[in-house]
Parts: sequence; C-alpha cells; structure tokens
Amino acid sequence: MSVLDDLVAGAVEDQRNREKTVPLAALKEQVAHGAHTPLDARRWLKRPDAIPVIAEIKRASPSKGHLSDIPDPAALAREYEKGGASAVSVLTEGRRFLGSLDDLDKVRAAVHIPVLRKDFIVTDYQIWEARAHGADMVLLIVAALDDDRLRHLLGLAHELGLTVLVETHTREEIERAIAAGAKVIGINARNLKNLRVDVNKYDELAANLPDDVIRVAESGVFGAVEVEDYGRAGADAVLVGEGVATADDHELAVERLVKAGARVKASETTPLSEHHGPYWGQFGGRYVPEALITALDELERVYDEAKKDPEFHKEFMTLQQRYVGRPSPLTEAPRFAKLVSEKTGLDARIFLKREDLNHTGAHKINNALGQALLVKRMGKTRVIAETGAGQHGVATATVCAMLGLKCRIYMGQIDARRQALNVARMRMLGAEVVEVTLGDKILKDAINEALRDWVTNVKDTHYLLGTVAGPHPFPEMVRDFQKIIGEEAKQQLQDWYGIDHPDAVCACVGGGSNAIGVMNAFLDDERVNLYGYEAGGKGPETGKHAVRFAPGTGQLGMFQGAKSYLLETDEGQTLDTYSISAGLDYASVGPEHAWLKDIGRVNYSWATDEEAMDAFRDLSQTEGIIPAIESSHAVAGAYKAAADLKAKGYDKAVMIVNISGRGDKDMATAGKWFGYLTDDQAAALEVTGAHGNTVA
Amino acid sequence: MTNATTTPSGQPLGISHKPSATEAMFDTLRGQNRPAFIGYLPYGFPNPDVSLDALRTMVEHGVDAVEIGLPYSDPVMDGPVIQAASSIALRSGETIKRVFEAVEAVANAGGVPLVMSYWNLIYHYGVERFATDFENAGGAGLITPDLIPDEAGEWIEASDRHGLDRIFLVSPDSADERLVTVARNARGFVYAAARMGVTGERASIDASPEVLVDRTRRAGARNVCVGIGVSTAEQAAKVGSYADGVIVGSALVHTLLNDDNRTARDASEGLKLLAAKTDELAEGVRGARN
Repeated sequence: MSVLDDLVAGAVEDQRNREKTVPLAALKEQVAHGAHTPLDARRWLKRPDAIPVIAEIKRASPSKGHLSDIPDPAALAREYEKGGASAVSVLTEGRRFLGSLDDLDKVRAAVHIPVLRKDFIVTDYQIWEARAHGADMVLLIVAALDDDRLRHLLGLAHELGLTVLVETHTREEIERAIAAGAKVIGINARNLKNLRVDVNKYDELAANLPDDVIRVAESGVFGAVEVEDYGRAGADAVLVGEGVATADDHELAVERLVKAGARVKASETTPLSEHHGPYWGQFGGRYVPEALITALDELERVYDEAKKDPEFHKEFMTLQQRYVGRPSPLTEAPRFAKLVSEKTGLDARIFLKREDLNHTGAHKINNALGQALLVKRMGKTRVIAETGAGQHGVATATVCAMLGLKCRIYMGQIDARRQALNVARMRMLGAEVVEVTLGDKILKDAINEALRDWVTNVKDTHYLLGTVAGPHPFPEMVRDFQKIIGEEAKQQLQDWYGIDHPDAVCACVGGGSNAIGVMNAFLDDERVNLYGYEAGGKGPETGKHAVRFAPGTGQLGMFQGAKSYLLETDEGQTLDTYSISAGLDYASVGPEHAWLKDIGRVNYSWATDEEAMDAFRDLSQTEGIIPAIESSHAVAGAYKAAADLKAKGYDKAVMIVNISGRGDKDMATAGKWFGYLTDDQAAALEVTGAHGNTVA
Repeated sequence: MTNATTTPSGQPLGISHKPSATEAMFDTLRGQNRPAFIGYLPYGFPNPDVSLDALRTMVEHGVDAVEIGLPYSDPVMDGPVIQAASSIALRSGETIKRVFEAVEAVANAGGVPLVMSYWNLIYHYGVERFATDFENAGGAGLITPDLIPDEAGEWIEASDRHGLDRIFLVSPDSADERLVTVARNARGFVYAAARMGVTGERASIDASPEVLVDRTRRAGARNVCVGIGVSTAEQAAKVGSYADGVIVGSALVHTLLNDDNRTARDASEGLKLLAAKTDELAEGVRGARN
C-alpha cells in the first residue's frame, strides 16, 4: 500500500465514523439552511498584479513530522489574512497532519478570504461536509481518483459552488484533470535534487493548459525564492505551508511572499516601451547602501512629479530645441550603404541618427539636461558624475554651467589619459575633474568613487548617472530622457523619407543609454529587428573585451546598484575590462538590456576594436561623418546586422544606425591606429597637463 | 550524500529556531552593563595566514564579536584604509572558500564570528551554499552593506533555514519607515552608521548616532550597534554609553598598514600594534557605562 493509499483509507474510515453521527442528509440540511455562500475563489487566485498566496494551517506532515502546535488556528489565519494571503488552506486530516474540521470552523469564522479544505477527499460526503463547514474550496488529488470519480466529485463540488484545486504530479495527471473539467490545477515542479523549482519541468507540465485554467504551484514553496521561481515560470498562485506556519512572524512571512509575487508581476509588464522599474524581469533593483535609499526615493518622487508636470516637459523640450539643437537629423548614408551592400549582398538603405550633432557632440546631453532640471526641482546645489569617454562628463559640466550648479566629475586615470582633451573641456566649463587612481582606473572605478562621494554628501548632492544602469530609478529615468532619439528617428523616417518603419536598428551598448534611446520607440513593433553591439576589444576569447552577453562572458551578478549581467571572476570579483573605446569599457550593462536579451527582443553581438576602427574609417571616408569610436561599434554592427537580415531572408532592408557621438575626441587614438600621427605627436596628445586632480 | 538544503531524510530544511548567538552575547553583556566590542578586519589581509593570527589577536585582546570582511574589488562603502587592505588581500590570494577557516578561528578563540560582505560575493558563491558552509563553520551572522531588506528575499530565506543573523544597516538620514523595515527584517542587531559616508577614522563624532540609535530602537530594533568613524578609546566609550555595541574597523586595519597606507606592515610588528590598539579600544568600551 502506498503512502497515499494509506492516507486515503484512513480519511475514509474517519469520514464513515463521522457519518454515523451526522448522516449525509443532515449535512445537506445544514447546507440548505447555512448562512455561508461560498466565495468564488477563482477571483482571488488569479490577478494581473500579484501572485496570490494560499497560506496553510499545517501542524505536521508525514514527510516532515511535527512542524508546529498551532493552538489557535483562527489567530494564525487572521495573521495570514493581515499579511496579504488570498486564501487560507486548512488541513482537516487528523491522523498524520493533525488537523480537524474544528480547525476549519474556526478559520472560517475568523477570515473573509476563501478557505480551502485540504484533505484526502474521495467521497460525496466529504464534499458536502466541506461545504457545510464553510469551505469555499476543496482539494482533489488526481492520483487518488479514477477518471469517473474525479469527474463526478468535480461536478458535485462545482454544483455546490465550491472551487476545486486539483492536485497533479505528472503531465498525464494534468491531462486527466483537464479532461475532467478542472479549472484550478495544482502543479508540482520541484527538482528534488536541489529543491529549486525546475522551470523546464514546469514548462513541460504546464504546456498547452487552457487560458482559463488557474495554475497553482503547490510543492516546496517556502519563501520568496520559490515564489519568484514559480512566478517567472508562469504560475498564477502559490500554496505555502511550513514556510509560513512555522515562521516566528507569520504575518511578515506572508507579506514577504506577497511582495515577492507582486515584484515578479511588475517586472514583466508590457508594452516594453512603457515598462517601469525597479525590475526588468529578474534584473535591476536597488543593490545599494541603505544610506542612499532616502535620496533614491526622493529622486523617484521628484521625477514622477516632473513627468506629470507639463511645465517640466515644456522647459525640457524648449532647452532641447534651443540649447541642444534638437531634433538631430536623420541622414541617409548611400555611399556607406553601398559598402555594406557590396559586403553582405543585402540591398540596404542606411540612415544615420545624428546624435553627434547635438551640443557637446553626443546623446549624453539629453539625459544630463533632464536630470539637471530635476536637481533644480529637488533644490540641490551640487552635481557629481562619472565619465568614461568624457562625453557624459562634458555634457554634465555643460548643463551645470548653464544652470549654475556646482559640478565635480570623476574619471578613471586611464580614461583621463586617453581623453585628455575632454578633461580640459570639462575644466574649461568650470567643473572640477577628479582623476581616480583606484582599482583599474576606468569607468567602474569612477562610478565607485562617485558613489562614495554621494553616500557622504547626499543631502546637497545629486549623482547625475550617465547611463541606464545603477539603482532604480536611474535605468527608467535615463531611458525616458533618451527615448527622444528613437521617437524622432521614427518620425523623420516617415516625414522626410516616406518610410513607415525601419527593418533594423543598430546601436552600440556600453551601459546602454544610446541603445535604449534609439530602440525604445521600436521595442513593441515586432517588424523592427533590433541589434546591440558590445565592445569586443581583442575578441571575447582573449579575455580583453567588454562583452557581457556572449556565451562564456558575463554572468548574473549585482554591480553598482543593479542586478544584471556582469563580467566577474569565479570568486565574484569584478573582472578587468578592455576596449579601445572608453565609453563601452564597463563590466556590467543596464538591467533593461539584460531583460531584452533574456526575452530575445534584441540581438546582442559585438564588434572588435579592429572592426570598429575599420567602420570608423569607412563612415568617415564615404559620408564625411566621423563617428565616436563608441558609435563606430554600431557602424561595424551595421555590416553584421545586414548579414543577419540577409540570412533571415531579407533582400532589401531599411536600417537605422545610431551615431551616438562624434569622433573628434578620438582623433589621437585614431591617428595612432591608422598611423596618421608620429609617435611624438601621439605622445604629445597624451598630455599630462590636462589632467585633473588625483585622489588616493 | 545529503543535499546541503535538505534534512537527512531528503526533505527541505525548515525554519531553524536556533537562538541567535549574537543576541545571546548582547544579553550576557547587558548583565555586565557593558556594550559589545565588535572589531572588523578583512580576511586575507595582509595574507590568509597572518589574517588568522590577527583575528585571534583581536579576540584575545577584548573584541567580543569579529566582523570578518570579505575583500571585494569594488567596495563602495569603504574609505581608503579598508580599500587598501582589501586590495592587498585580493592580491595575496584571498578566496571566499577559505574565509570559513577564519570563521572557525574566531569561534575557537571565543569570539562571535560575523562576516561582512558586499552582496555580489555571496550571490555568486550561492546564497544557500554560503549559509550552509557558514553555519557549519560556526558563523553567527552576516553584515550586508549593500543589501537592503527589500532585496534580501533569498538571504532571508537562507538565513531562516540556517539560523543566521541578518545585520542590515541604517544611516542618519534614513526615514522612520526605513528604520521599521530594517528592524522588522533584522536578526541579531542593526548596524547604525555614525555618519553619512564611507568607512574611515575621524577625529570626532557628533551627536547624530545617539539620535539614530534611539530612533532605531523606537522602530523596533532590540540591539543597535554603532560603527563607521569610531577610532579612539574615548569615542568608543562615548558611543558605548548609549549603543549596544561599538564597531571599529579602519582604526584596527590601520595598524597592519605601513605609514604610506598602501602596503602591509611587517607582520609581527603589525600584530603588536593591533593588540595594543585593541587593548586601548577595549578599555574604552568596558568603561563606557562606568
């Protein structure tokens, strides 16, 4: 006899004994005259913004033995309800689970949410009994019932207004449950080796379930981890026993699960172009010291207010037009397109989005301007920022000069050397430039130092982060300030060129702000193929690169405020990155990109230094447009995207390439690369005199 | 072999109701009317072996609980002294696997072993795996400078299963509702930052930590310890007069660094200075409420 057979036999014997005192007819009488009308539990168990929690009153189980005394089940149920549970499950089996119908009565009287009677139910009597004792739901276990019995009991329960949770363990049982008319199915998809939810198993089990069936994860849900795993796998609701019944603080334990579920739901909302933080799928969040939370909350609040304020938009757009010089043009590049066509065989029309023509020469000013206006609204007086290539530092120094804000820019020493002229520009604009000599002396180290400054001076200081990375609300806010790039491009393509939509959009991806900026307007248009190019350096196989998305490169990790893909050692220490372009030389990537990669919306690849520099030359010499080395990765990507489109069956394609910045700042690097400068000239450009202060 | 996350019968571990070692320490010290002395040192600094000696030295000279730091490449909450020590430790071959030796060393010396780590290191090692190994080594709790309770779901679950303390931070400008969130989710104690900013020694400490300790207690925390900037016996005594524990980091780490603050001092000389500094601070802590 199996454990299940044993439990069923015991339950039936106990039921027969009860029936001797209370015959079925008496139960039916009770139901007819009872005051309780069962709640439609299905309305509690599926919600667009939550993963409802069924919290269980559980004293013991055959597998784990005694768990908790639970002297007052009504009080426990009330705590569950207060913590946000959507239903309470009451085990009424007395032999091994130490439950009773008395527990059910007490719980029913204590809460206003649906109550599930969980027992080994195989007879009509047990269903009537559940109904008479005020249950709104009952459990039926497929493994304990043949098809006829299952169908019959389901029918009876439905007739009595009860919702039935049908417990299954295999695909075959799920099919039997569906065939019998189950509307709420309990799915068990735990990997018994590591006890984590096995997403593949879940997918296999839950495949092709009708849309109106509610999926309840039943096994092994203990804490936030399992709620998140099951939620992401597609479960509508979870049932939790031990994790809440044995907790020191039952209300808090339920509350944590409810919050974890709400987070999963909020993290996957569409349309993609309007998705809100803090979470982008499993990515994003706020992995920062508590000391910054007040400032981040304030920033989020002020930003939300500004978003709704037409005056803010007016001021922002007026400055975009009159100060930045927007809209930036969308320039057709026929001679460059010819090169691409010759190389790939794709008949391509290529349009360049000219962020290089913005004031200060890059897209960075869009975000710097937006955030600087927020600084004014917050009443802060001092701005700090990090910079890699110098473009964001220059943009920040520029808007601070215009708005009269005190400004300090942190820049890694290696970056400061390769972008000496930008250091001079920032100082010219009145900013203090601090050269960071800690760590690897590149962008990430500049961000660390900026974060330390911010933690110390957060009261009067705003950290004007330059990309769609970092803690919430930065990824969302920076996207919003940059999305104008794609919105303009879309309109210009229609108005100037009479083309409804592009077939492809290419951008380079460091932190990812220009890429998100140009892609956001197209994220929900599946006709548009999106391509992001990371810095391949000397090639992903060499270890000298900043490729986070290719197999064998980035891993999941928390870095500088957000969870995303991260280049790290097997100890979790951040890896040194390398790229010829300072602006793409970053160990992690914005959380939205990580999500877009995981859901397959954007194709991410890379361009090596060599490919980028070839593209730098190609565009300069075919179109008279010198792109930044960062943007050259997108230009190099145009060849790759064209080849990919060709492989996908396109003969002709319209492509937009985002020229995120201009290449004047890169002439020393390019001059050296192509041999246009003598060593002496190159050395002279790497002047040390243009450097800022150093910190230890 | 039994999976680390299961009971011997193959069932998942339930909530451990093992009492908190840290709370037991505070209860004992409360009986003696004195605060706890909590000392920080990065594991692996200046190298793995000497760091074990250094941790033992701290316990022998009056540290009640040791905050064993896990060196990290990007320590955003740390000032120059701890940054330098961390980078020396990383260069000298520190690995997270061996930190459990340090936990055992502290426990064997009679101290309460805590680990302080930036979250990515624990996440990467595996949260459940870390909790298992840490518990097995005799660890008491984990201090997480860049993990707020709102993001700590996996750690809350693992620490519940393994009976480990969760030590979150609060800072002087934390709003009251943040203090409540931290106090509700903390176990062991709450770490109150004496000032806004990163770790490092300071000549003086203002009144803000006392206010913060009081606010954090009112938010529901039973034990509140103060760190960041405490570097002299006098400061320790002052802080210890109102806090349940005094946390000292940079001032202890400093003794093992040369005057350039970038390289490690000769080990035996460093350990002598560490012992002396620990004695000095311990005296301050013990005299805090006299």
